[in-house]
Amino acid sequence: MIEMKEFHLDIPVEPPKELESLFLPIPREYVEDTYKKDEFLVLVGPQHPGSGHMRLIVRVKGDIIQEVIPDPGYVHRCVEKIAENRLYIQNIPLVERPSIMDSANFNLGYVRAIEAAMDIEVPERAKFIRTILAELCRIGTHLYDAAILAVFIGHTTGFMYPFGIRELICESLVRMTGARFTSSFIVPGGVRRDVDEKTLRWVYDATFAIEKRLKSFERIFIKNPTVIARLRDVGVLSKEEAIKFGVVGPFLRASGVEYDTRVVEPYEAYEELTWDIVTADEGDGYARFMVRVNEVSQSLSIIRQCITSMPDGSYISEQIGEVRGNFFDKFADIVLPAGEYTTLTEAARGTLLFTIVSDGESNVPYRMRIVSPGWLYLRGFMEALKGERLADLQAIYGSFGYFPPEADR
Amino acid sequence: MISTLFEIFKSNMVQIPLIQPIIDYLMQIPLINFIVALILWRPFFAVVIIPGLTVLLLYLLYIVWFERKLTARVQWRVGPLEVARPIRGAIQALADGLRYFFQEAIVHKEAHRPYFVQLPILAFIPILLPIAFIPAGNVVGIKSPYAVQLVVAFLALIPITIIAIGWASNNRFAFIGSVREALIYVSYEIPFIIAVISMIYLYGSGDPYVAVEKQSIVPGAIMNPIAFLVFIIAMLMATSRLPFEIPEADQEIAFGPFVEYSGMLFGLVMVLAYEKLYVMALLFVILFLGGWSGFYCELLGDLNAPLWLFIKTIIVISILAIVRSMYARYRIDQAVRYSFSWLIALSIVALVIGIAVGWIV
Repeated sequence: MIEMKEFHLDIPVEPPKELESLFLPIPREYVEDTYKKDEFLVLVGPQHPGSGHMRLIVRVKGDIIQEVIPDPGYVHRCVEKIAENRLYIQNIPLVERPSIMDSANFNLGYVRAIEAAMDIEVPERAKFIRTILAELCRIGTHLYDAAILAVFIGHTTGFMYPFGIRELICESLVRMTGARFTSSFIVPGGVRRDVDEKTLRWVYDATFAIEKRLKSFERIFIKNPTVIARLRDVGVLSKEEAIKFGVVGPFLRASGVEYDTRVVEPYEAYEELTWDIVTADEGDGYARFMVRVNEVSQSLSIIRQCITSMPDGSYISEQIGEVRGNFFDKFADIVLPAGEYTTLTEAARGTLLFTIVSDGESNVPYRMRIVSPGWLYLRGFMEALKGERLADLQAIYGSFGYFPPEADR
Repeated sequence: MISTLFEIFKSNMVQIPLIQPIIDYLMQIPLINFIVALILWRPFFAVVIIPGLTVLLLYLLYIVWFERKLTARVQWRVGPLEVARPIRGAIQALADGLRYFFQEAIVHKEAHRPYFVQLPILAFIPILLPIAFIPAGNVVGIKSPYAVQLVVAFLALIPITIIAIGWASNNRFAFIGSVREALIYVSYEIPFIIAVISMIYLYGSGDPYVAVEKQSIVPGAIMNPIAFLVFIIAMLMATSRLPFEIPEADQEIAFGPFVEYSGMLFGLVMVLAYEKLYVMALLFVILFLGGWSGFYCELLGDLNAPLWLFIKTIIVISILAIVRSMYARYRIDQAVRYSFSWLIALSIVALVIGIAVGWIV
């Protein structure tokens, strides 16, 4: 490498006027300092084809990113505040909204907090059905993120294939719950309805169809040399960095940390099934992508195991009783005992925390707190961008699968 | 004056036996005969009809539709269909063009107005000029023994207009886009020119007639396969097609130099790359695929050569359209590194082969 010498020209530089009117969440001195240092600010988003619903204030020197300051909140929908004014049962559709791809996991996290508060024992069959739903949504989310990654690095076929494959997931969810996603199927004590043998058989067959189609996706996208060239050694987070910046989920596992909430604090049927934690050591964009690709095959295996070993029994707890026809009678007047109830769930993009604070006398939560995985790994995402090229911004963005509505809640 | 011109046109008309009776009839009518003679005047016919402007527009209609349709087929979709259902949405590009035509072309405050507006139109000059020099049999605009070199020289002017467009736009993304365009330009131009020079050595001349004549037995693609490969890759880079769609990368820099354009001006800049591809493919067919030689049909007469040239060009471009659905985009530093390492190495190998084969033949 030839060491390039830098010559400082003392020319008075003025930051552009329009930066003053853009409500940047950074002090004025920062902008002036940047422009004095032969660097400049590129505002990526919120109306940028490669930014999602957020603004990234990128400080670049030439083509190299020096620092990125996120400006999230463009899709903040006050989910936590709205939840304080709704019945517990009415909050179920609400909490699904931040991440509609991953609705079952969000639904599950919220419902488990209620169950923890009310000491409801969930029957085995309901647990297995919930696990199937959660894993279907996990596959759907991973496919969605893979599609976004593909279109971010200019591979349109890689965008269309996962969306084509995801139709099978949606069809499975339709047959099981009646909605393509955001089905609100998981209720305190179990699930809304029983799922019959024929439907489960269909889902079982669908997993093989998904696997077959993933093969062609692998040929055109995963093993594509241009994709590997774009993602390998890009946005590297070492093991220590990943832990330090609080990265969660598949992105933490891609840096070599074997942590999965499904193993650490098992819930539902995960204890009774055999599956591996997928990890990778590189911590680069390709590793983050491959971890999720391998998680899809693990999830397919989990779904198959759930269906083959599906226990008989009731789909809803005896403490609740039959909910068909008298749904509101059962759930409208839920009042949680006073206290604070927290659950950790492994959503598709990482650890999801739900906290419900109840005052013990009202039928709405006193306070509900959601810490979504997107919000947790935003810091790691910003750190991974440092020192990379501006063209890598979208590749790293896609490799994290950052989903602003989920992070902003 | 008019009669002198008429005599000039009449003396050098394209002979097409198929429509000869109609032409004979039209030539008897005053005034109409002047227009017919002008249209069929060989230089005019070459530049304006085929392989010039008219088929260029037809080609634009076709390639935009075909590329979208092919990509859709690969991607489990249907593609454009609703505009003219019976012909599978084939005039989609025309509908888009009409829409662009009636849209407001916004010129923003920061833009350098005169350049911003005139550059998309100026960019047509280096695209249309080479067509005047590309011959198709005896239908030729300007006959020159240096036609190949001239076409390469005119092609080198196109990136300059694009860089100027980016400068006139006065936008961050346009600026990054034009810097990328400049980088990709220096990286493809050298291998491209060396590949062309190797073919000129092979044929011993830059004259397309000599090149086509020398390919009467074996096409140039087989005589110098390395130059063939280098030319294809350089063509992909030059027309910013995936995997080298770097200057326009819409997810990264939102169409780069063209980010501020709208309406008709956007329509003009959008087809720039397609037109450049057309000119490069014409050169490619002449250098590597035997040019206008092909099965001769008596009825078509002089139209045979341009038709063959056009058909071969369309086939080449249609095959190149598949890369769009196959590859992701490289990063600019990767593209520059590849072209300055193995692409230049390959082109030098091609040059050696060209000199060796040219010496044998």
